Amino acid sequence: MRSKRNIINCLIYVLLFLLAVIFLAPIFIILLNSVKSNFYISESPFTFPTDETFTGIQNFIKGFTQSDFAKAFFNSAFITVFSVAGIVLLTSMTAWYIIRIKNKFTKIIYYLFVFSMIVPFQMVMYTMTYYAFELNLNNRLGIILIYLGFGAGLSVFMFSGFIKSIPTEIEEAATIDGCSPIKTFFLIVFPILKPTAITVAILNAMWIWNDYLLPYLVLGSGENRTLPVAVQMALTGGYGNKDMGALMAMLVLAILPIIIFYLFCQKYIIKGVVAGAVKG
Amino acid sequence: MAKIKFNNIVKSFDNGKFTVIPNLSFEIEDKEFVVLVGPSGCGKSTTLRMIAGLEDITAGELYIDEKKVNDIPPKDRDIAMVFQSYALYPHMTVYKNMAFALKLKKMPKEEIDKKVKWAAKILDIEPYLDRKPRALSGGQRQRVALGRAMVRNPKVFLLDEPLSNLDAKLRTEMRSQITSLHKRLQTTFVYVTHDQTEAMTMADRIVVMDKGVIQQFDTPQKLYNEPANMFVAGFIGSPQMNFINAAVADDKGIKIRFSGYEFDAPKTKIEPLKNYIGKEIVLGIRPEHFTAGNKDKNTCEMTVKTEIAEMTGSETNIYFDLSGKRCIARINTEKKIADGDCVKLLFSNESAYFFDKETTQVIG
Repeated sequence: MRSKRNIINCLIYVLLFLLAVIFLAPIFIILLNSVKSNFYISESPFTFPTDETFTGIQNFIKGFTQSDFAKAFFNSAFITVFSVAGIVLLTSMTAWYIIRIKNKFTKIIYYLFVFSMIVPFQMVMYTMTYYAFELNLNNRLGIILIYLGFGAGLSVFMFSGFIKSIPTEIEEAATIDGCSPIKTFFLIVFPILKPTAITVAILNAMWIWNDYLLPYLVLGSGENRTLPVAVQMALTGGYGNKDMGALMAMLVLAILPIIIFYLFCQKYIIKGVVAGAVKG
Repeated sequence: MAKIKFNNIVKSFDNGKFTVIPNLSFEIEDKEFVVLVGPSGCGKSTTLRMIAGLEDITAGELYIDEKKVNDIPPKDRDIAMVFQSYALYPHMTVYKNMAFALKLKKMPKEEIDKKVKWAAKILDIEPYLDRKPRALSGGQRQRVALGRAMVRNPKVFLLDEPLSNLDAKLRTEMRSQITSLHKRLQTTFVYVTHDQTEAMTMADRIVVMDKGVIQQFDTPQKLYNEPANMFVAGFIGSPQMNFINAAVADDKGIKIRFSGYEFDAPKTKIEPLKNYIGKEIVLGIRPEHFTAGNKDKNTCEMTVKTEIAEMTGSETNIYFDLSGKRCIARINTEKKIADGDCVKLLFSNESAYFFDKETTQVIG
């Protein structure tokens, strides 16, 4: 019985290891090629750099200057930070209202949020882009508003699930202690929501930071371009020719912040997902 | 001075679709320990929440300290509440939980510190001040909840089934702690419970409620000895009072006949029972009023077949059938009684209760 369980465990570990390799392979290939010259990237993309193929940080310097990396990094960071902050703050408040004020209106609003999760972006992107231009939302501030809209569905859904598990007595105790609804939210409810808030922040940060299509459609490749757009655009030469080395180097720099952010907060993802499942 | 006065209070939900409390009027005296007791859904918690200001009052007036508080928010009512689920702030330490309300009042730090440490000392939670609630046991959490209420020095303490999440031993311990806290603080306490033992042991006066209506509001002793109706008689006392259909007859004096037995009506009840001659009434006998002694002219003797006999240590609970109704007697006997045994049970005429069958009100 025990040996059978061990075999099953072994198989599961092998399967998980294979999956991890499959998921990590692209990142590894990018890392590998970010320090090789263009010729060797197309010649032997899967080999380790040798004395002959190793270019050091040359690709990074080239990519950094050619793609105006600093500017694009700032744009991406600005949009990600403020969109995520807006999503976390506003959707947690919305979810609190929806769960605590039970009437037909809040029920409809809740289902609208849930419904918005299942509408694919491609279905609305043309009309959305048209109205983004019409309403002058084709700038860094405007796109934050658009991200808030697209991110609200899942975030409200996640916050709602957690808020349901918070006993209303805690909020009532705060009311008796002298809290107004705003104070109750910021001093009591929001700190309790911390694990879910971090989960929501990580999921949205990864999505917004890595998003290509929405910023490309709304912001284009001009002054406000974000990192994924800048990397793709700037390092593309005439006739579709690409500086692959610089491109790989810039991709390494682009994914680095979000990986660090994820590693820093990953323990909260688990907490956020399981929180509320059991009564403590 | 914190008197609480309910004046024709009505509470409805869903725009009057459901009326939980049709009309409630009673007064709680200053420094009194009043327990609201009743079965689930009887409106006791709603009543408490109306005092706290957590529920709106549909109609009527509520006064705390002679001041109408219908439209006064909870924080301005000078009350403190202890919840069944403790309702401690999980992200704050015990100290911060207790200091929270005072901090909101912008009280100086030194004063907050003094008050928190004073309450912690009384409740014996000083070693846990730096801990988060999740690191405390149920009893400790409940003491923190009490401490949080104490530091505010409120006019009225509201306690909503504060002991129901604790185990039996801890409940008994906390019960005496709350009672001594009341004596020490000299404040009005309003306590909600469905446990009649808690109500009987702690209260100065008990409000027995059913379907939003007060059935009786009196001292524990009076509720036990002089219940106003069958509901109160059945609710107060454990095991529950036995209710048996009986008839009143005038046969050389007023006689009570039930299930083939007969006894003389007690002297104090003769006059009121005269109105029921020839009518059916309900006879009430408390299980603990049965004895296994010898018959005399003021007792009624019955011979019953034991269905189940439960030894509880010093006493034995005997379950038996009387005209199709399951009854229970609690007797003090050294004799071992087994299931199926026939036993002689006696009760004194004076210990019997009589109720009007239609109105369920006590007779006399």
